[in-house]
Amino acid sequence: MASASALQFNVEAECSTTKARTGLMKLPHYNVRTPVFMPVGTQGTMKGLLPEQLEDLDCEIILGNTYHLGNRPGINVLQKAGGLHNFMGWKRALLTDSGGFQMVSLLKLAEITEEGVKFRSPYDNSEIMLTPEKSIEIQNSIGADIIMQLDDVVRTTFQDYDRIKEATERTSRWLDRCLKAHKRPFDQSIFPIVQGLLNKDLRIQSATEHMTKQVNGFAIGGLSGGEAKDDFWPIVTLGTDLLHRDKPRYLMGVGVAIDLVICVALGVDMFDCVFPTRTARFGCALVTRGQLNLKQKQYETDLNPIDKDCNCSTCKTYTRAYLHCVVSVETVACHLISVHNISFQMHLMKTMRDNIKNGTFPQYVKTFMKEVYNDGKYPTWIIKSLLSVGINILEN
Amino acid sequence: MRFTVENSESGRLGCLRDFERSPYTSLETPTSALLAQAGSVVHLTADVLARVFKTPHLLWLPLTSCYQLEAGTKAQGDGIAKFSGLPQHITCATFQNISDNLPTGHFELDKVPLWTKNGKKMITAERYMELMEIFKPDIILAIADGRIALDEGPKRIFKSVERTQKMLDICVEKYKESKALHSSGLVGVIVGAGDLRRLEKSIKYTLKHKENLIGISLNGIGDCSDQILTTPVKRLEDIFRTVAALVPPEMLKILEGCWYPNVIVTAIEHGWDVFDGSLPLKMTNMGYALRLNCDINKPILSVYALDMKLKRYNNTFTPLLKGCECLTCKKHSRAYIHHLLVTKEMLASVLLNIHNLHNFDQLFIKAREHIALKTFHLFKQHIIQQCLMIEPLETSTTNQPVQSQQQQKKFCAKSLNNNTEGS
Ligand SMILES: [Zn+2]
Ligand SMILES: [Zn+2]
Repeated sequence: MASASALQFNVEAECSTTKARTGLMKLPHYNVRTPVFMPVGTQGTMKGLLPEQLEDLDCEIILGNTYHLGNRPGINVLQKAGGLHNFMGWKRALLTDSGGFQMVSLLKLAEITEEGVKFRSPYDNSEIMLTPEKSIEIQNSIGADIIMQLDDVVRTTFQDYDRIKEATERTSRWLDRCLKAHKRPFDQSIFPIVQGLLNKDLRIQSATEHMTKQVNGFAIGGLSGGEAKDDFWPIVTLGTDLLHRDKPRYLMGVGVAIDLVICVALGVDMFDCVFPTRTARFGCALVTRGQLNLKQKQYETDLNPIDKDCNCSTCKTYTRAYLHCVVSVETVACHLISVHNISFQMHLMKTMRDNIKNGTFPQYVKTFMKEVYNDGKYPTWIIKSLLSVGINILEN
Repeated sequence: MRFTVENSESGRLGCLRDFERSPYTSLETPTSALLAQAGSVVHLTADVLARVFKTPHLLWLPLTSCYQLEAGTKAQGDGIAKFSGLPQHITCATFQNISDNLPTGHFELDKVPLWTKNGKKMITAERYMELMEIFKPDIILAIADGRIALDEGPKRIFKSVERTQKMLDICVEKYKESKALHSSGLVGVIVGAGDLRRLEKSIKYTLKHKENLIGISLNGIGDCSDQILTTPVKRLEDIFRTVAALVPPEMLKILEGCWYPNVIVTAIEHGWDVFDGSLPLKMTNMGYALRLNCDINKPILSVYALDMKLKRYNNTFTPLLKGCECLTCKKHSRAYIHHLLVTKEMLASVLLNIHNLHNFDQLFIKAREHIALKTFHLFKQHIIQQCLMIEPLETSTTNQPVQSQQQQKKFCAKSLNNNTEGS
């Protein structure tokens, strides 16, 4: 079922203390260095940036949303264009989600049955059924290098055990249907999604089941949905403990710098999140300590770049004072901050990859955390999660 | 800075040069500026603009949107081009964009209303020149009471001429005193175009300051794009003749406003040198792609602008304009741009503006070639013919939402008659 021509993953270096690793994931359109952050370009475009700009920012893989793309431009246009790569002029790797998450989160009236997700089209109000087969059909037309199985989505903070169990088991049944429906196993890899929310037994059951399938990589889903951080990290680390060492592990919906550092230490290889580009739209620029809200009056005459150590085109050309003037007024403000925010994410991932390779990752994690929490008041989840992989940030 | 010009029977070739900030830059005229908002070419970051134009261009900077840059530019002290991240380009500052659809508002003696993002500010000539000392543009258009419709009443026209003259006196005085502006060129703004006698008066008064001016700019020909776009060309030509008869040939002549290409080539023929670049941006904001055929040897097969929101482009995988060398056309299809427009993605405006600016720039490159070859009349006819093939643009606001079904159908039917599918 899974074909080596669609994905080859080589772990090139592992941290001797933590579970962090760095590697190369060879995909049909690009060789992606991991750990990697994948910016989200929902409708076949990344927030006003040209594909050339994304290449210059060292983006190697970006994400598209099946639900949106299936609606507009639709499968016919995408097929005629020869897939999303051609349609949007992006030569490097792409990943598409299954559409299920978007549907359940965007459409209040979605109804989930064994057959699939039933909902009313927001475009013409007709009833539409997204089945695992349909999701794969659309994703086959989009043609991304990595595609996701349709999963039964339950809100992360949901408490009803029976429903969580049902969703976890249904996700496994839907995985079988997705794999069966897949028409392009030679150039697209389906990633199963490990479900079970915050329930460890269900997570083990889900991962064990999915690992019996011939697939090229795995995703950990159902997290980053508002759960407490103390609940979040043990599930991540359970996932990376369970899943095959020689296959990439993708943690869905995570992208805030601190979470990225912790989860890389816990052994995750791939991340995606709308946060860096979404926050740019509101005038917020990412820095190690968090973010600068450039709308604030304090930046009116601040002649520094967003980050003096950043090499992005925005930081090389523009001051905070200029960005302050154009934020929320001019479209360029959004483009300029998006460039910086994506650059920030890419730089963070590269720094982690380099440190893993050089054997200095644990020290890097300590330095990073010290910079973020310069008062030394670390949240307990950070202390505990890092201690679980051999880093004691309380000692020097 | 200096302006040198060679007149010819039909149009003229000039050169803006010797800018203190960039001594090796020269800009050939006739040309169009790139319309900026808050110091940035609209929709394009400095990084993207550098991919579109390799050589310095003229940036058009209306104070309306630059007003908010005062504090930052002042703190940095290097002028608006540097502050806006575009130090290699030549800047031309003006009080307002006469094509903006803005309220007119009441006037006070010696003050003109400026509609900034934070509401109306009443600006005096002194205040305007104070801002210019901070922005340090290469070219300054004097403050004027210039946003007036051609068919305004005689009283309003009279007032605008009076007020503009008074303010010009102050601008010139401040300009002469200013160290910061010693290398900038000052342009006098003439008004009163609604009444040719008033226009003459305005020109004559402006020319009293001739030794301190590098040129003139024409205002008083409209107060919003709707109206400018529908001005009869005949009436404009009368105005152009009046200007040409009075303004010495060595002076730079700037025509502000959002004009159709047929008006632009007519104006070039009458000796206008610089345009403000409103048209391509308006097209971009309406979701239109310019496709001026600037090669007189190529047959005219289609209208010069396409409404990319029309559904029939949703699966057309050809570029906006076949053979176009712009970044957009080399990579992207009409279908993709249509998709970005209907999903209201920001990249739609970026890609359309890249193409529209490139195509509009071609109009001027080719115009200069034809003037040099003394074949401008052929080029003019070639452009005018394309303009006859299209209905006037929908003209309400610049950020117009997707057209109604009915409008689309109407446009479609008309366009199809004209064989718009193109080559
Ligand atoms: Zn930056
Ligand atoms: Zn083009």
